[in-house]
This record gives sequence, C-alpha cells and structure tokens, in this order.
Amino acid sequence: MSTNSKKIISWIPRALVLAAALVLINTQLYQSQIIDTLEMGFVFSLLAMGIFISFRILDIPDLSVDGTFALGASVSALLTYNGHPVLAIFASLAAGALAGGVTGVLITKFKVQPILGGIITMTALLSINLLILGAPSRSLWKNNTIFTLMQSVLKDYTDIILSAAVMLLVFIIMFWFLKTQIGMSLRATGDNEFMVRASSINSDTMKIIGFMIANALVSLAGAMNAQITKTGDTNSGTGMLVVGLASIIIGEIFFSRHTIFSGLAAAVFGAVSYRFILAFAISLGIDTKFTKLLSAVIVVIAIALPVIKKSVSGGIKLLKERGE
Amino acid sequence: MLKIEHATVIFNAKTVNEKVALKDFSCDISDGDFITVIGSNGAGKSTLMNAISGSLMLDEGKILLDGKDITRFKEHKRARFIGRLFQDPLKGTAPNMTIEENLGLAYSRGKKRTLNIGINKRDINLFREKLKALGLGLEDRMKTPVGLLSGGQRQALTLLMATFVTPKLLLLDEHTAALDPVTAKKVMEITDDIVKKDKITTLMITHNIDGALRYGNKTIVLSQGQKLMDIKGDERKDMTVEGLMKLYSKTASDSLSDKMIL
Ligand SMILES: Nc1ncnc2c1ncn2[C@@H]1O[C@H](COP(=O)(O)OP(=O)(O)O)[C@@H](O)[C@H]1O
Ligand SMILES: [Mg+2]
Repeated sequence: MSTNSKKIISWIPRALVLAAALVLINTQLYQSQIIDTLEMGFVFSLLAMGIFISFRILDIPDLSVDGTFALGASVSALLTYNGHPVLAIFASLAAGALAGGVTGVLITKFKVQPILGGIITMTALLSINLLILGAPSRSLWKNNTIFTLMQSVLKDYTDIILSAAVMLLVFIIMFWFLKTQIGMSLRATGDNEFMVRASSINSDTMKIIGFMIANALVSLAGAMNAQITKTGDTNSGTGMLVVGLASIIIGEIFFSRHTIFSGLAAAVFGAVSYRFILAFAISLGIDTKFTKLLSAVIVVIAIALPVIKKSVSGGIKLLKERGE
Repeated sequence: MLKIEHATVIFNAKTVNEKVALKDFSCDISDGDFITVIGSNGAGKSTLMNAISGSLMLDEGKILLDGKDITRFKEHKRARFIGRLFQDPLKGTAPNMTIEENLGLAYSRGKKRTLNIGINKRDINLFREKLKALGLGLEDRMKTPVGLLSGGQRQALTLLMATFVTPKLLLLDEHTAALDPVTAKKVMEITDDIVKKDKITTLMITHNIDGALRYGNKTIVLSQGQKLMDIKGDERKDMTVEGLMKLYSKTASDSLSDKMIL
C-alpha cells in the first residue's frame, strides 16, 4: 500500500469523530452556547500554547501553571477594577513572565528539580495572588473590560472576535518566534541539550526564556478569562495544568506535534475541543463539579492509550500464533 | 595554541569510590597539529576531552588557549572555538529538528543568537553545497528530521556542524567507534579531508592503534590517567602497531587489548 493511501485511511476514524462531533454540536447546543464555547476555547488555547512551550518544546514539566494562571487573573482583575483593562492584559503578561523566570532560575541556577521548582513558585503564588487582589475573588460586573470597550464597534460578536484575534496573534507570534535563531535554540534545548551546549548556546538561558514565555501565555489566559467572565478569582488556576495538558493531548490526535505549525495548531484545536467536550457533558446534565475529574480522566486515557493498544495488539498476535 | 598544564580530574573525591581519572597531565598543542590519543578502556581519554571542552572542570591544573586562561570557562562559552564529536551519534544532533535546522544552529556558533529568522535562502544554498561535498545524498533531504538518519549519516552531519564555522580546535572522541566498519572508514575519510582542507587543529581519540599512527602528526598514549608516551617526528614515522604494543607493555602496568589492533 502506498504511504498516501495509508495516510488517507488513517484519517478516516478521525474524520468520523469530527463529523460526529459537528452533528452533536448542532443537535445538542444552541447557537449562543456554541459561540460561548468557542470563545472560551480560544482563551484556553493561550493556556495550551503556553504549556506546549514548556512540556513539548522544552520537554520539562512546569508545575507553576496553576499559580501563574491565577496570577494573570489577579493582576488583570485588580487593574480592570481600577479602570485599566488594557494595561491589565500587558501587566499580566509581564507578571507571568516574571513568575516563569523565577521557576527557570530555580531549576537552572539553583539546581532545584524541575517539578519541585514549579511547585515552589506555584505555592508562593498562592499568597502573592491574594496579596495582589486583596481578596479571594473580585467581581468586575460594573467595570469596563477590553470586551466591553470594543462593544460599540464589534457589537454582538465582540467576545468571539476579540478572543479569536488574541489567539491568532499569539499563534502567529509564536510560529514566527520558534523559527528565529533564539527560537531554534530553544527547540534544540528541549531536543538535545548536549548538542546545544556544544554549539555554544547557553542552555540555562534558553530554559529560562522558555519558562518566561510559557508562563506569560498562561498568565495571559488567566487575565483574558477574568475579563471575559467578569470575575477575578485567586482560585481560578486550580487544575489548569491538567486542563492544558488534556487539551494538547486531544489536539495531537488530529495534528502531529512534529512541526511547529501542527504543534501549535494541536494546542488550539485541542483547547477548543476540550471546551466542547465540557459543554456536552454539562448539556447532558453532568454536574460542573466533575469537570476537573473529566480532564484528569482524559489525560490518563490519552497517556495510557498507546500502552493499551500495544498490549491488545500483542494479545491478538499471540492468539493468532496459537491458532496456527 | 592550546596548553594543558598539570591537569588533574578526580571523581568522587574523598569517598571510597575516589577515582583519579586524569593525573598531572600536561601537553602543548600547536596550530595545525593533528594529535591522536590512544589508551586502554578507562585510561582517561574521554575525561581529557571533557576537561578540554568544559563539560568537566579540572580539579587541579590549567588550560590556556592562545595564552588566555580558560580553565573556568563554561562549556557553551568554550564551544565558540571548540568543535566536538562524541562516540554516540545521537549526541551531536537534535533529532526532532530537520537537517537544515541543525545546520542553521551550527552556522551561528560563536555568534550572538538573535530574533533574526533562523535560516534564510542564502544559508540553504550554502548548506546544500556543503552537504553535497559529504557525498551521502543528504542535500536532497534537508527537510528531513535528523532522527530518521542512520548513525553514519548523523555522525557525518555532526562533523559538518562542528567544522561549519572553522573551530580553533576540533575534538573527536572515538567518533567512528559506534559505526559499522565500512561507514566508519567513510566517516574517517571525510574527517581527514575536512581537517586537512581547513587546516583544523585536531585532537582525536581512537580505539584503533593503526588509525592512531596513520592519521595525524603526533600520538599520545594514555594509561591510568597519565601520559605514557608522546610519539612524534621520525620515531612516529618508523613506528609500527607491533612496535607500539611492545613499547606499551614495557612501560605500562596493563596491556592494550587485542581489539585495538584491528
Ligand atoms: N562521571 C564519572 N564518575 C565516576 N567515575 C568516572 C566518571 N567518568 C569516568 N569515570 C572513571 O574515570 C576513568 C576514566 O574514564 P574515561 O575517561 O571515560 O576512560 P576512557 O579512556 O575509556 O575514555 C574510568 O575508570 C571511569 O570509570
Ligand atoms: Mg571514552
């Protein structure tokens, strides 16, 4: 069989899943629900792209994510509350980069184990976020956000257009960045650190840069989420790492992670899909309490699937051999 | 050009597992030298190389490059002027990046990495030309991830990457040992070609006595972390594999393995 026809055949189950999903979307959700879900998907694709940088590009688990998502939410809510919603977005990017930089320095300069380094930052942020926001959560119902500011121009479609625009902008910037000399050095650092150092690249610096970018994006997601839902919550980060990972893994069913474009596309597509899965679950009457459990299950299934596949096909082979 | 003075490396110092891997080693490498290093397993050859490249720090002694003390320089800083190849073909390249991306990284060695685009059209033409010279057909596969290449192809590519920006010093640590004999010969020929053409000062570790005498202009014999012999000039011209074996067994407490004669 030619590789081309093989490729087409391998796409058939994916196409079926996609078709089924579209039918479900049409029958189960109202149009306004679809648009809401898409909006949230675009916001959370920022989270997924951030996690793509640390987990996939650098190949280092970064556990500060839950903290930096809430950091973005806190910074954004504070500034929005005080009348600076646009500044809030940029400030949250900077705050996220700073937090990521701390994790990076802990891991590279102080030789803290990566997982512990992330946990330390995340734990510190629990207090810092409360300090920033001054309360566990803050409602922004009476305040202008970047979304309400654009309402006069974009009318009913403000939320979807603005969230899509930010997602696209970040997508394009990341795609370009990863092709620059620094971006290529960053990718190589996750791929073969040995070779990177032998090519006169400071791998420590690259890791720090990577963590800064990753957490800036995660924080941006938290900030956008706070403004679109009109609540800043210091607890909004809980479980976000697993949600982001689940998104990436779902996306990788459809897009391989082997080129930058498809890797970023997987993050976006996965984040949107995750939101739809969630919307279905809720439309079926599943309590929102269980959504985090759902994301945990998705991650476990996705990671276990190759192992299960292997043992099943191994079992079939064994049966065949016995039959002969 | 490169001066190593009283270099000593001790692993697990002050424990029961203490191991002096390099002991009071000194040598002077001149511009254009092609020095081969042999010694039995565990003699400290790789330790010497790692100490020069900075992936290991010396416990005692000094390393001077063109009179400048680089003993405390970090690995990535030394890599600006030192190119290196490892025994393991997997170590020298980034497997998930394409051939051209790997070359692009090597091409900016020693320069500051910027936000300029990693590879432009002009680079690609240069890469193609250089790949063609290897004679492995890699010039037609520039968008292929390096992970899909064979060990020999990866090693040849690593060689190209290490010498793309001509280094002051090229370090080769048994870089053909993991390859099949035919491929090993081919990679060694390419190595010799590049070193001669660009007149690169080279330090090559080899497990093969014949190769150690055939290539280069000097041979250093290591045993138990110490320099046992320094063979050069007429003495080297007349030296045979058997002669070296005999000389070795007279001075060293262990013996070179039979494998090394092949
Ligand atoms: N990281 C290490 N920790 C402890 N001992 C080491 C380490 N690396 C090498 N050694 C020991 O140092 C000695 C020299 O090793 P090496 O330089 O790799 O020898 P070779 O000449 O075979 O390349 C060996 O006895 C080896 O076991
Ligand atoms: Mg060795």
